[in-house]
Amino acid sequence: MPLTIRLTISGRSYDAAEGVPRELQLGDGTTVDDALAELAGQLKNGSVLPDTCLVALGGAHLGTIAEHEPRSLRDGDELVIIAPVAGG
Amino acid sequence: MLTDDELQRYSRQIGPGVLSRQGQERLRESSVLVTRAGGMGGPAALALTTAGVGRIVLAHGGRMITPDLNRQILGSEATVGEFRAPHFADYLRSMNRYVEVEPLDHEPDDDEALEIAARVDAVLSCPPTFDERLRLSRAAVDTSTPLIDAAQWGMMGTLIVVDPSRTACLRCVYPQEPPFEELFPVVGAISAAIGSLAALEAIKILSGCGEPIFGKMLMYDGFRGRASQIDLRRDPQCPVCGDAR
Repeated sequence: MPLTIRLTISGRSYDAAEGVPRELQLGDGTTVDDALAELAGQLKNGSVLPDTCLVALGGAHLGTIAEHEPRSLRDGDELVIIAPVAGG
Repeated sequence: MLTDDELQRYSRQIGPGVLSRQGQERLRESSVLVTRAGGMGGPAALALTTAGVGRIVLAHGGRMITPDLNRQILGSEATVGEFRAPHFADYLRSMNRYVEVEPLDHEPDDDEALEIAARVDAVLSCPPTFDERLRLSRAAVDTSTPLIDAAQWGMMGTLIVVDPSRTACLRCVYPQEPPFEELFPVVGAISAAIGSLAALEAIKILSGCGEPIFGKMLMYDGFRGRASQIDLRRDPQCPVCGDAR
C-alpha cells in the first residue's frame, strides 16, 4: 500500500530543492534511505544536498545524510532535512 | 538581595510564568560568555543585559563595516570603521548599570575558550564558522558549562541547547565539520529572533525558571513560516562528550 510522507527542507537548500513537492508518494516498506534517493533524483539540475545535512524523522534526530540510523517510513511521517548553518 | 531600584527595574519579569524573585537574584549572580556579538549575539547580549544577568563577557574581533548594519544592532552608523567590542560594551552598559560587561576584541582560541567557559555559567555561541562553534562546544563540555548555539542563514535559524555530557554536543550533531560559507545571506529580523530565543534559553538556565530545551534543536524557517523541534541524538562514541573519551 503506498504511503505519503511530508518533506521539510531548510532554507539553505531551497535552490537545490526548488520544484520538489512538499509531499512524497512512496511505496510500502520504504525506508529513509529510499526517500533520500527519491529526493536526490528530484533535485534541480543534478544538485546534491550536502552529506552533512541533519536528517530527522518524526522529530527524532537520525544523524546526517552521510551517516544515519536506518528507519522504515510510515504514512504521514515528516522527514526533515536541515543543511548546517553557521551564520553569526 | 535585590535593591528596591532593581526590584522596580525588573518588576515586569518577576511573577507567575516568568522569573521568581530568587530566579532574578540567581540571574544577577551569574555570568555569560557571548561570542560573537553580531546579528544574533548582539540582540542576545542586549536581552541578557536588560534582563539583569550580572556579568557578560562579550567577544568579537574586527571593525564594524557597513554590511553589518542590517543586523548588528549594538553598532550604528557612527561606529562604522571602529572596533566593535568596546563600542558594543559601552552600549550595553548604558542599558543597565547593574550589569558588568567585559569586552574582548578577539575571538577566544582553544585555551582562552576553556579558561572563559570555566568562569561563566553559560556559553552563548553565535560565531560564523563551525570551527569556532565546535571549539566553544568542546570548551563547554570540558568545563560542564551549558551551551546555547545559535545559527542563521537567509530567513531561517537554528538553536541547539546543550547540557554537557548529558545531551548531544555540537560534535554529535555535526560529526564532519561542514564547509565554511563566508558571505551568507541573512535578514536582520531572523538574526534578532534567533538571538533573542538564545538569550531566553540562557535566562531560563541561569535563573532556574522555565524549561530549557536541553537536548533539542529548534529550527525556525521564516521563509515558509514553519517551526520544527528535533530531539537530538547523543553519540555515545562522540570524541568530545562520549563515554569513551
